[in-house]
Amino acid sequence: MRTLSKLFMVFSALSFAVPAFAQGGGSSEVNWVAIAAGFSMAFASGICALAQGKATAAAAEGLARNPAARPGIQLALILGLALIESLALYTLVIIFAKVK
Amino acid sequence: MPEQLWFTEILNHLLAGPVTALLRAIGIEPKHPTAPIPNSFAMEFLVFAFLLVLFLLVRARLSVDRPGGVQHLFETVEGFIQSQSNEIIGYHSEHYTPFLATLVFFILFCNLLGVIPGFESPTAVPVVPLGCALCAFLYYQFQGFRHSGIKYLAHFAGPMPALAPLMIPIELISHLARVLSLTIRLFANMFAGDMVTLVFFSLVPIGVPILFLGLHVGVSLLQTYIFVLLTTVYLQGAVAEEH
Repeated sequence: MRTLSKLFMVFSALSFAVPAFAQGGGSSEVNWVAIAAGFSMAFASGICALAQGKATAAAAEGLARNPAARPGIQLALILGLALIESLALYTLVIIFAKVK
Repeated sequence: MPEQLWFTEILNHLLAGPVTALLRAIGIEPKHPTAPIPNSFAMEFLVFAFLLVLFLLVRARLSVDRPGGVQHLFETVEGFIQSQSNEIIGYHSEHYTPFLATLVFFILFCNLLGVIPGFESPTAVPVVPLGCALCAFLYYQFQGFRHSGIKYLAHFAGPMPALAPLMIPIELISHLARVLSLTIRLFANMFAGDMVTLVFFSLVPIGVPILFLGLHVGVSLLQTYIFVLLTTVYLQGAVAEEH
């Protein structure tokens, strides 16, 4: 309960930054594409890392249970990691295609 | 005048006239008539010439009693690809080893060429991995037709004939998506390696970019292996028979 109240105090302290919105229409256009690109790449990389961690953990456990099956497990691991990696790379390609 | 590597400049200096005439004869107007050959094509051509010389050299010096170092290397690569395609495809996989080994050598040398200063990886432009992916796609489709004749088209219909109207568009799109994914995977890995090296070079010019060049070498090897592994898996989908 105390951690929760501390968390809420931190969040309410962040509201001190609200007057920044009163700057009025800025002289330059906000580059929403770049901001969205940053968020989307971070999101894609984070989820890719989670998935690859799960794959590696499963491969390591399988290898520990049955070291004789190393070639098959290694093949499946490398294939799986590369396919997951490519999904994060699709996001990167879209960013390079769209962000000026 | 576009920015050119030294090798591209030599090629353009020698061949700009004939190449521009050839392009205009097909109906394409080059953006820079004095430099119609882009960097990526020049680098590809360099890899092609180097590999041709290497293959001819190995072929001339093949020997059963006293194999040289290069012959050992080639035998290792061939044995590796052969064992892997045997594991994935099954019997009669020796037919496919020449194509897969050529893919390995070409993509590996294209990727590694970028590490040498004064050269750039041709696979860091989208067009070159697209070429490799289209070659792999056409190869496995051709092998599928050669193996099963016109009945290869039954692969697209799915497991049951009743599901065929649903499965055919899905299968077509998934086959085309294979070309896209092979291309983008190879291109994005090479391009991202270049970008990351440049970013860290702009931050810390001494020492740190070497780590990223090392990473680029590792990623080159891995991406070559993945490309050939996926081509083998697609071949298996096209050619393998279920018992």
